[in-house]
Amino acid sequence: MAQSLVELTSLLAASHAGDLSAQIFAYLAKHGRLTLPSLAAHADVPARRARTALSSLVETGLVQYTAAEGTAPAFYTASWAAAYNIARHSNVVRLVTERHGIQAGGVVKNILSLGYARVGELAEAYGLEPGSKRDSGVESGNTVVGIKGTVNGATHHKVSGSQHVNSEAELHVILVTLLQSGILVKIGRRTFVPVSDLQDQVEEAVISDQFPDRKVTGPKKQAAFSIAVRQLKRKWQVEDAFSETHDLNSKGTIKRPGQHFTAPNKRVKLNGAVTNGNHATEDDSSVKLSSELTVRVDFTRCTIGLRSLRLQNTAKRLLGPITSAVYGALLHSVEAKIRILHTEVNELQDEDDDPDDFLPVAHIREIAEYLDPDIELAEALGSEEDKGKHVQNGPSTAKRKGQVNGHQEGEDHPGEELGRIANGFSSYRDSAKRFEHIEAHLRLLEEHSKTFCKYTRPGKTPKGWRVPFAALSKSLLDEELDATVAARYGKVPLRLARLLRDRGKLEEKAVAAIAMMRIKDVRSVMGEMQHQGLVDVQEVPKEGQRQPSKNLYLWYFDTQRVQALVLQQTYKAMARTLQRVQVEKEDYRAIIEKAERSDIRGQESEKLEQSERVQLRKWREIEERLLTQVARLDDVVSVLRDFSGTDITMGN
Amino acid sequence: MATLTKLSGPGDALYTELCKAAQNSIEGLRKVFFQSDIEQLATDTARDKKELLPLVQELVNHSLLRLSKLDRALCWSTRPRDAATAISRLNADEKLVYSYVEDAHQKGIWLRELKKRTNINPNAVTKAMNKLENAHLIKSVKNIRAPAQKTYMLYHLVPSDDVTGGSFFDAGDLDESLIDELSNLIIFHVRMQSWADTKTKRIKRETTPPPLTAADDPDTAGGKKRKRGPTTDIEDSAATTRKYRLSAYDTDDPTIEIITQLALPAYSRAYPSAEAIHSFITTTDAIRASKAAQLTVAEIQNVVDVLVWDDKLEKIGDGYRTVRGIKFRPPGFLGDEEAEDGDKVEGNGLTQVPCGRCPVFELCGEGGPVNAGSCVYWGRWLKEGA
Repeated sequence: MAQSLVELTSLLAASHAGDLSAQIFAYLAKHGRLTLPSLAAHADVPARRARTALSSLVETGLVQYTAAEGTAPAFYTASWAAAYNIARHSNVVRLVTERHGIQAGGVVKNILSLGYARVGELAEAYGLEPGSKRDSGVESGNTVVGIKGTVNGATHHKVSGSQHVNSEAELHVILVTLLQSGILVKIGRRTFVPVSDLQDQVEEAVISDQFPDRKVTGPKKQAAFSIAVRQLKRKWQVEDAFSETHDLNSKGTIKRPGQHFTAPNKRVKLNGAVTNGNHATEDDSSVKLSSELTVRVDFTRCTIGLRSLRLQNTAKRLLGPITSAVYGALLHSVEAKIRILHTEVNELQDEDDDPDDFLPVAHIREIAEYLDPDIELAEALGSEEDKGKHVQNGPSTAKRKGQVNGHQEGEDHPGEELGRIANGFSSYRDSAKRFEHIEAHLRLLEEHSKTFCKYTRPGKTPKGWRVPFAALSKSLLDEELDATVAARYGKVPLRLARLLRDRGKLEEKAVAAIAMMRIKDVRSVMGEMQHQGLVDVQEVPKEGQRQPSKNLYLWYFDTQRVQALVLQQTYKAMARTLQRVQVEKEDYRAIIEKAERSDIRGQESEKLEQSERVQLRKWREIEERLLTQVARLDDVVSVLRDFSGTDITMGN
Repeated sequence: MATLTKLSGPGDALYTELCKAAQNSIEGLRKVFFQSDIEQLATDTARDKKELLPLVQELVNHSLLRLSKLDRALCWSTRPRDAATAISRLNADEKLVYSYVEDAHQKGIWLRELKKRTNINPNAVTKAMNKLENAHLIKSVKNIRAPAQKTYMLYHLVPSDDVTGGSFFDAGDLDESLIDELSNLIIFHVRMQSWADTKTKRIKRETTPPPLTAADDPDTAGGKKRKRGPTTDIEDSAATTRKYRLSAYDTDDPTIEIITQLALPAYSRAYPSAEAIHSFITTTDAIRASKAAQLTVAEIQNVVDVLVWDDKLEKIGDGYRTVRGIKFRPPGFLGDEEAEDGDKVEGNGLTQVPCGRCPVFELCGEGGPVNAGSCVYWGRWLKEGA
């Protein structure tokens, strides 16, 4: 594992779980899996303290363990992915807040800081319920209580602040919504087992079940094997997501995200209400969750959501806010139907099949459901007459004409305007008109060179709109690299980098001719870019002697290499940013310590001097700024590493 | 070198005839005449081949006709009269050199190549070249393919595109201002074709609207010519792109123009293709007619490609559309282009932090000569925003 990632994850673990835990984490990260006794012996930490640290690490998911059957000792493994995900917490909260409202954001924030949480305890923490001691039996229970004690202070503080979860019913509605959208998932038996061990277990189970001779060689057998493995994995996931003891009194509200669109009418309505932001009044006894239900945040799901946000932003930049709102609705409805970031091609039955055919389809009706009804769609559609006038009259008169056009635009759909005001969005004619407009926006998205979405090809079913995620992830990646190159080195290197990416390997002279630049300038820019590792050169000898002066030198841009390079740099920059927080903290140590004293905490405004308050505010601003920057760096990482879903460097 | 007798009357008449025929053809002086061609033209001056032969020989001797071979048949082409007189004064080496340069035509010939082919003393070649150049018989041109090599061609010839590099080269050098102006013209043309604008005027409020977030710099509020702060945050939900056009004379005009750039319905029309742009460029008066005639579709396509790489245009179907928010420079705009473009580069999370642009990033590490604590860039970065 790259050095910069080790550094970063250790820092993140330290910020999240405290120094001792960070020490243990760093040791595990460095030395691989260990049992508790050997860990304690090598890391020179008393076994008792090591155990405490490990238990809190396991709760937060930073460390995973495999317990073999019988009395064999458990092995502990550091989880890179979980440690890195700490950096993503603020982005996840942002996503949830944007989608499901500020209260939901608060709930997710709390669950994130706890690692996982029991519904009953959450309600307790929000002070909605007298803390009823639940019956023992669930083995993870005790540990949760322990961690609750440590974090509760902060939780309480925040809850009383801005997030306003007022009743238990409201909390349950929020949790159900989050469970349905897949952002929260239930904790299952296998949550704390490292992915690699899970893979081993699955493979072992499949082999002993279906391949009695224990041989999986040969292409045919291998294919059958990988399909069987995938099926069993999925089965286990389903098992994890549903357990009878927990779900009996929730009446099966918990389903896998892929299934909820076929759910009964009532739940769809609920969902719609939530997206519109007025869910507080929704009080339905049937959504009450078992207080024994334990949930955690599913980061894969959040990454899908973050990818959608990112795509939506790109669409906004290129096609305007209203088209992007329509796109957002499409993404939202498609998202509900996908399970993973990336469909592996070998999962497809037939090689002739277009992989796009396996992407989920959203019907225009579903898209309309997700779309904010207040958005005026027609306004953002230009018409042919508009353009004609501009061309005829030239730019000088365009201003006046534009004014006229503005009025025409409004008059184009007067019926709709009136209809909306008169009887809301109910009449058939109105909704037909609205579908038409949505479709117009979707076609704009389809027409764009990035192909934001696609309509089903003729002759195929089901009809509807798809989002070609794989290609779009690739273009997001290219865009991110372009932005890096442009901001660092300027426009000319950007032009050359894109040129090489489009045209492949080229000689200096060809580059100069295509980019319309002087060879001299091209040479200097290329040299600089090669030095930075952005482009590379290949030597092709023209003759047997391989004389350097007679060789051809072909320049090329290797996206994969640059991607890895920039990713490592981003890890490093993140680590530096986090370290800088500590450096800055030193300067404000006195005031921070004073503010954290138990007699001052919570009433800073009365007990601190004016100058101290200014100091404190300054520190908070600095911390906020640096942490916001970490979140932005995480945006870069998610584009470079996670959106395609094909990267396996993090284990899962 | 024996001095030649004066050109005979019939010879002169034949030469005039041939010159006229050459000038009337498309090829000009490159027009070659085969024996049959000359016989046809020479019906007045020479009745049969026997009479024609000495005439042609005389013209060749006077260097007015150039003898060459095409498809194993002899053929002749004309030379200008003043060139001919100059040639007749040359010595054998010089004549040889001249013939090679002449053969190279518009492509030109490298000096080194010339030395190799003529197989005479290199010094003599250099001397001959100097003399020819001084006599305005040949000239040296800059070859774009090999700028270091000297390339020669006949004085009256116009170098081919291969040699000059095409329309965008001026005396062997890239004409950057032409490319720039042409790009701007293309952006203007495509922009007008590809988006619909609606403009609404609104009464400007006396004070600018309050900042959206507390983080906004309070100093900028209240100022009339408020420059938009760095909107690195793209969370703005405004449905329009706003331009505040406050030119020098209308600062009292209480209206703000809000321009909304709207996409045209998809698949409803063809966006301008490279051919369409080419025909616009060549028919407009914006560039010199001779230059316009020279521009090819391929060259325009090249400019368009570069604009696509520069994120100015995007390809839609077979045509092109400007990227949303791209502006063209109005004619006569003399502002600093870099400043205009400068604030557009937003970068990403990585390049916003000092590390993303740090020159000593490789050296940076805990306990190293450079680290997060000793970093001067961080201090500056934190101060900037505070």
